[in-house]
Amino acid sequence: MRAARKKLPPASSWLVVLATLGASRAARADGEPAPVAHEATTPAPTPATAIAEPVAAPKKAETEAPAERDASRGRFEFGSYGRVNVASDLRGGTGRGADVVAFGSRLDEESYAELELRREDTLPGGVATRVVSTLALLPPFFHFSGKLDTTIAVRQLYAQGQLHGVTIWGGVRMVRGDDVYLLNLWPLDNQNTVGGGIGKTFEATDTQVALHAGMSRLDTLYQSQEIPATAPFGVGAQSITYLDRPRTIETLKVTQFFRNGADRTYFRGMEKAGFKAIGYGEAHQVSAGARRDTNTNQDVSLPSDTGWMLGSQLTFFTGQRDTHASLVLRHAQGLAAYDPLATPDTFSLERTTQGASETRVVLSGNVEGGAFGVNGAALFRWFRDAGPSPTTFSKYDEAVAIVRPSWFFAEHFGLSLEGSIQARRYAVLSPEGDGPLTATLVRGGVLPYFSPAGRGTFKRPIIGLVYLATARDGGARALYPEGDRFRERRLEHYAGLTVEWWFNSSSYP
Amino acid sequence: MAHRLSLRKSPFAPLRSAAALAALSLALAAPGCVELPPEATSKAMATHVQDWRDEVLYQVLVDRFDNGDPNNDFGVQRRPGVGALARYQGGDWRGLENRIPYLKELGITTVWISPIVKNVETDADVDAYHGYWAQDLTEVNPHFGDIVTLRSLSKRLHENGMKLILDVVTNHMGQVFFYDMNMNGKADIQTGGTGGTSPVERVTEFDPDFDPRGIQASTSLGLAGRAPLIFFDVPAIHRTPPKPGILGEASAYHGMGRITNYDNDQQVMLGDFPGGLKDLATELPKVRETLVDVFAHWVEEVDFDGFRIDTVKHVEHEFWQVFTRNVRERLARQGKKNFLMFGEIFDGKDSLIGSYTKPGELDSAFYFSQHFSVYRDVFQLAHDAKAQKGTQQIADLWAERPKNYGTEPQENGIGVPPTKALVNFLDNHDRPRFLFDAAGDTAALRNALTLLYTEEGMPCVYYGTEQDFKGGNDPANREVLWDTGFPTSGDTFRHMAKLARLRRAYAPLRRGDLELRYATSAVGEERDAGLFAFERKTEDGAVVVVILNTNARHPSAPGSGGPPAKVLRTAIRAGTKLVDVLGPEATEVVVKGDQTLDVTVPPQSAMILVPDSDRVR
Repeated sequence: MRAARKKLPPASSWLVVLATLGASRAARADGEPAPVAHEATTPAPTPATAIAEPVAAPKKAETEAPAERDASRGRFEFGSYGRVNVASDLRGGTGRGADVVAFGSRLDEESYAELELRREDTLPGGVATRVVSTLALLPPFFHFSGKLDTTIAVRQLYAQGQLHGVTIWGGVRMVRGDDVYLLNLWPLDNQNTVGGGIGKTFEATDTQVALHAGMSRLDTLYQSQEIPATAPFGVGAQSITYLDRPRTIETLKVTQFFRNGADRTYFRGMEKAGFKAIGYGEAHQVSAGARRDTNTNQDVSLPSDTGWMLGSQLTFFTGQRDTHASLVLRHAQGLAAYDPLATPDTFSLERTTQGASETRVVLSGNVEGGAFGVNGAALFRWFRDAGPSPTTFSKYDEAVAIVRPSWFFAEHFGLSLEGSIQARRYAVLSPEGDGPLTATLVRGGVLPYFSPAGRGTFKRPIIGLVYLATARDGGARALYPEGDRFRERRLEHYAGLTVEWWFNSSSYP
Repeated sequence: MAHRLSLRKSPFAPLRSAAALAALSLALAAPGCVELPPEATSKAMATHVQDWRDEVLYQVLVDRFDNGDPNNDFGVQRRPGVGALARYQGGDWRGLENRIPYLKELGITTVWISPIVKNVETDADVDAYHGYWAQDLTEVNPHFGDIVTLRSLSKRLHENGMKLILDVVTNHMGQVFFYDMNMNGKADIQTGGTGGTSPVERVTEFDPDFDPRGIQASTSLGLAGRAPLIFFDVPAIHRTPPKPGILGEASAYHGMGRITNYDNDQQVMLGDFPGGLKDLATELPKVRETLVDVFAHWVEEVDFDGFRIDTVKHVEHEFWQVFTRNVRERLARQGKKNFLMFGEIFDGKDSLIGSYTKPGELDSAFYFSQHFSVYRDVFQLAHDAKAQKGTQQIADLWAERPKNYGTEPQENGIGVPPTKALVNFLDNHDRPRFLFDAAGDTAALRNALTLLYTEEGMPCVYYGTEQDFKGGNDPANREVLWDTGFPTSGDTFRHMAKLARLRRAYAPLRRGDLELRYATSAVGEERDAGLFAFERKTEDGAVVVVILNTNARHPSAPGSGGPPAKVLRTAIRAGTKLVDVLGPEATEVVVKGDQTLDVTVPPQSAMILVPDSDRVR
């Protein structure tokens, strides 16, 4: 990669760069390992892990001389993302997340880890392949719960091949672009389906196009149901799949770079700087079906449903120390207003999601220089369900703004402060009866940490102490039932240990 | 960031275009900020009623009327055409609001909705879809919507010139505690005995039989004193200590077990309502204060126009005196006048019903005695000549009214004496549908409806009557209305709509004083079998004559008996030409010289005669 940096990288290398830039927190162009993305605390509505653009290619294969590629070569790789958090509430209890929005600060999120094992091969003729398996681990962990069990999820299980700048993949794969680290959010695209796709980079225009199609059939009565039926032979019953209507999703993503290259110069004095513009769209479909109400033995018809989403992203990056700024706009209608791993739970009178919508505006950025850095993000989100009632918890607006300045006071030590404010306003009358129920919290925190990998917002691993103080208003407290201490307490403490790492992920080489 | 940015080929032009396009798309697509309907925060309370006698009431079991929001169908068990009517079906306040045009076309002016408060969800595999198993009197039942939806319903009704009545229960709460009779801390149902030397007995701590000492605890050694009352704590079905305040304390309940003998006054007053509905100690000042406050508060919140009050006879008269006085005064101070409070005294004893309308108590009551002795005996049984009673039974009942009911308007009440504002009804949610016991005789139903709409008082129609529902006892009489598709072309629907139009057109049918003109005990082949007539006249002299034939077998006319033969005499000037505004033929009748009417009324039909000069065309 060092040599390649002196001229326009080959297409496959651009794919790697694209993938790297995909992490808006880490707009790197120098070929250094970029940080891995991260998993949301809960699988829905936007589960995540660290996989970048699906057109990303094995790094090693691209950097080797053509002569070396004539012979088949391959190897196994191991990568991981993980975080482990443990904290006290300073009242004798366990520290607990307090968010009132879908994406709040990640500092108080639950522990999560991914273990990735992959095989990468370079075959004769310049074909590069990759087979990836990623397992995710979620609490409870034995050392905390004393239970010898945990939750394991298969997050990735796919194969990919690449030839002449065209990448084809298929299997279980997280397909998504840039994330907003502080919010643990993929603001534009985040597909978690079983499917496949194809991507192509056009070197002449520095353009990348990717198509993906996948399906999911969640284990909910919205999409699937198994019921007993009399066995055709003999005695007894056997299970039949009565409701079977997977959601299919097709996506199209076009990425255009504006950056210096061999035949073009946009920025003088900022060789690695550039713009990235993305246009993105999704189409969602689910077929008609019927589920059996097992209480009444009646069929409940479920009409077909559709949805679409359009979004865009503009990112500026300097190519220096992860400095970048990004704006994402996105609007979804109908079924697309719901994450692929989430099931609509409110409907129109026709039992569809027609009329539902979700709109996002997301700003994020990171600046680093010398011993200081500032990372920040803001999210504005409007969600409307398709239900006929104007007053419902399924219609709401929310916003969060978060900033984390850091002082890298030594090569391996840093101190971050974090401040955030978040609010969600529901189309529900507040208990006081004076307007919409609005839940708001303000949070401040401090994070001193040890960074073995050196200075930088996204250097990992880090081993740190964390303290968060969260002030919650009456609206936030009203969301909790009587008997829950969160209904009573205005101030929450979260003091403990946070550990986070990422390395050698296939998506962020 | 210290780098100087210089451009040779500007990347910004396409970016600007893309950004502008994206921003425009977002602006067009963005839904705007969350807003609540205006009625969410405005609690305007006003007097919407001039004279309750002008109203046509319509009883709605909300769960059964229309489903306007499938997203509150929690635990619904629908079996269209089959049943499961003891379970929630999905109706809600939004559905009712959506059907206001249907109600207007039917001529309804006042809607009485089933109780709105949060209930114990389910008990013994039966749901609280009806609303009479209260758990929290301060919260709405989420099956039906939220407070904003309820206010929206109220506002839309008022905008359409209609009124809204709230169903309240002060006698009891739901199945919220058990009697720990064996003091083991859990609710038991035990069967004991051999059937030989000891009888087989079933004892339930949920709903034990009445004991005047209070339900007793006992062990193998004998009695152990009053059984502790232990509140359930099952949040999943809202079976938790009741609210508000004192209602969550054992001291707020009589704790004497279930009524087993309705002829025993002590049991009726102090016993639990069957089904484990725990009887409130309404004699306690704190309980009274709480009940006044919570129900008056709902009026303030939603702008209700009246209370339909459940199980009135199970609560002492002193309570009603306190309750009605305090509610009236509190609402009147805020501009809500003519607030109607009428009660359910589920009993055939006319004097008992009327006793709750005496000075200082209710404005009105369901005319249960009429339900039994008139609509059942005279109209519903028309298909059975041996069982049917003559119309003299109507006259006899009505004759008792001045004696049994309050004859003066209640202070701060509706301004009309109870004798003239009784709530007349054919059937309700606690009685089989009229057509069930009438063997499907729709002619009898329509004839009964004619009396209902033309007699003194307020007609109250149970939802579904207009669609000829014919369900039997609870819950078969609580059918799902939206399964019908809300047609408005049926004969009964059109008959009711016409009666409502006539009430609007002719003031005597609403406010006129009633004079009985003809009644008979004859039910067989006699000339006047089933004939009944009365005249209603307002102070300005407007008059209407109503003549019904309840006989299902032959036309009837005045004149049997005697000598001298009975006649139908009116107070209308001789020679006046009267026109039947009910029948399609507009039959004309001229008042004879002796002020009698010579009319023949077809079986199971009626005439509403108005002077031709007063006829509204």
